[in-house]
Amino acid sequence: MSRERFSRQSFLGRDSEERIARCTVGVAGLGGGGSHIIQQLAHIGFQRYVVYDGDVVEESNLNRLVGARSVDVPAQTPKLHIARMMIYGLQPNASVRGCAGRWQDNPEPLRECQIVFGCVDSYQGRHELEVACRRYLMHYIDIGMDVHGGAPPVIGGQVILSSAGSLCMRCMGFLTEAKLAEEAARYGGAGARPQVVWPNGVLASTAVGLAVDIVTNWTRRALPYAYLVYDGNQGTVKESATLRNLKITACPHFSNSDVGDPVLLEL
Amino acid sequence: MEYPKEQIEELKTYCSKVRAATEGEITYLYLEELRLPAGCTPEVCDGLLCPVARDGYPSRLFLSVQVSPPYPRNWNVSNARIGEKNWYVFSWKVNLVSPTLAQMLVAHLTGFTKEK
Amino acid sequence: MSISIKLTGGLHREMVTDLARPHPFAAERAGFAFGRVGSLSNESKVILLCLYHSIPDNQYVDDPTVGARIGSEAITWAMQAVYYGRPGREGIFHVHMHPHGGRTGMSGVDRRELPRLMPGFQAVGRDAAHGIIILSLDHGAGWVWLPGSKEPVAASTVSVIGKPLRVFEKGVGR
Repeated sequence: MSRERFSRQSFLGRDSEERIARCTVGVAGLGGGGSHIIQQLAHIGFQRYVVYDGDVVEESNLNRLVGARSVDVPAQTPKLHIARMMIYGLQPNASVRGCAGRWQDNPEPLRECQIVFGCVDSYQGRHELEVACRRYLMHYIDIGMDVHGGAPPVIGGQVILSSAGSLCMRCMGFLTEAKLAEEAARYGGAGARPQVVWPNGVLASTAVGLAVDIVTNWTRRALPYAYLVYDGNQGTVKESATLRNLKITACPHFSNSDVGDPVLLEL
Repeated sequence: MEYPKEQIEELKTYCSKVRAATEGEITYLYLEELRLPAGCTPEVCDGLLCPVARDGYPSRLFLSVQVSPPYPRNWNVSNARIGEKNWYVFSWKVNLVSPTLAQMLVAHLTGFTKEK
Repeated sequence: MSISIKLTGGLHREMVTDLARPHPFAAERAGFAFGRVGSLSNESKVILLCLYHSIPDNQYVDDPTVGARIGSEAITWAMQAVYYGRPGREGIFHVHMHPHGGRTGMSGVDRRELPRLMPGFQAVGRDAAHGIIILSLDHGAGWVWLPGSKEPVAASTVSVIGKPLRVFEKGVGR
């Protein structure tokens, strides 16, 4: 690959290209949010991917699935294939481990990652990804959007960074027992929620920006955790108000020693 | 979190082994080869008892397979991931005041045998 | 089959800060890290480090022929730690730092002395993985003895999961 390829991102640091190339990224969910993330990661130069999605492209995906074409609907093209084509089209030498299904059914490849992007629909799904990332030491970056309310509707979303040794999604006030309980009462189903391309783009870009900063440290700022809230009506991305009143400095929800394969203690 | 020894011993009458599995703040009780009520298929599977509040339930009994009980149940969580395994659980609220672990377990198992 | 090692940025900082401190007479410092095993695909494993123990100054032996020699008290402490780590299958890793930049590896003294610790650790904590980690100013390498193994496997990567994220690859680095 020529030097010219990444000449416009040299501000990321002298060895940023190598650092980015050496990192293994996981993406759980290759829908509206995940497909954006894949595209940006490939443009920037990430070479090692572990990606999960068992779905095929449907008509209702075409309003937001980056890389999908009209012909992919009758062809029932797997979203995994869309992601692979996107990556290989920009990074022909990339290594892509694609799993056509849930990560929970094939978790071992995910554990090789250093950064995992969660692009899933449910709070329970997010919780499970965060637990796995704490257990196998991976930075976890979560994105999600929602449209709710009436006239006018309100578009909201979040980008969260949760890393071992620092605050988790519960600490930051995003995951709560109430949300998990309410979701369980709805039989866990997120349902067909409204989704559009431009909020996904904002959230995915913000998430990828966090990842690039983590890998290259180009901003030189400390980033132990992050909870950014997107207001789609105002067009803003701001730090969540829950962080302003945070009284916790250390995460009580995960123990530093709770890593590795679970060990069952006989009683 | 530790549970009283005598209550652990009592649990062992319902399964072949009881082991502790901690994840996050919760210590689950892994019940190996838990014997299910008559009429269930399979008759035996592994269970994971969560003796503390979770997902809006005071306690939960997760199972390693989606059991076919005598009466249909709402399996509102399939593939809950705990301790690097996937578990199933149906919607069944156990409201007991200060139950022992065995009482809690029995109350959850009763969920298989009630028509409603 | 390959082995990788991961640790948080905080733990890495703790190790480097401790190992960089001058010692009254030893040219180098050493410490012990503790870690657990995670299973990957194709029977590969990842060692996840979770704790670091700094060896107190008074547990070194004054031996000018080597960079650092730890005494019997330090070894006894380590063995006890391995014993208490057995329920959680927590293994122990001897850690020290070479004061140069770039790739690092075992010196002749390291190769002679450090593997001798492993049979004792394995005898006490037979279900855990144990090993050696060597850091340089900007790189790192590890050797892991899996349970029951007489020979180590060199870690293919050592990843520092912090900011910046660092991935030290075996054989790669200036």
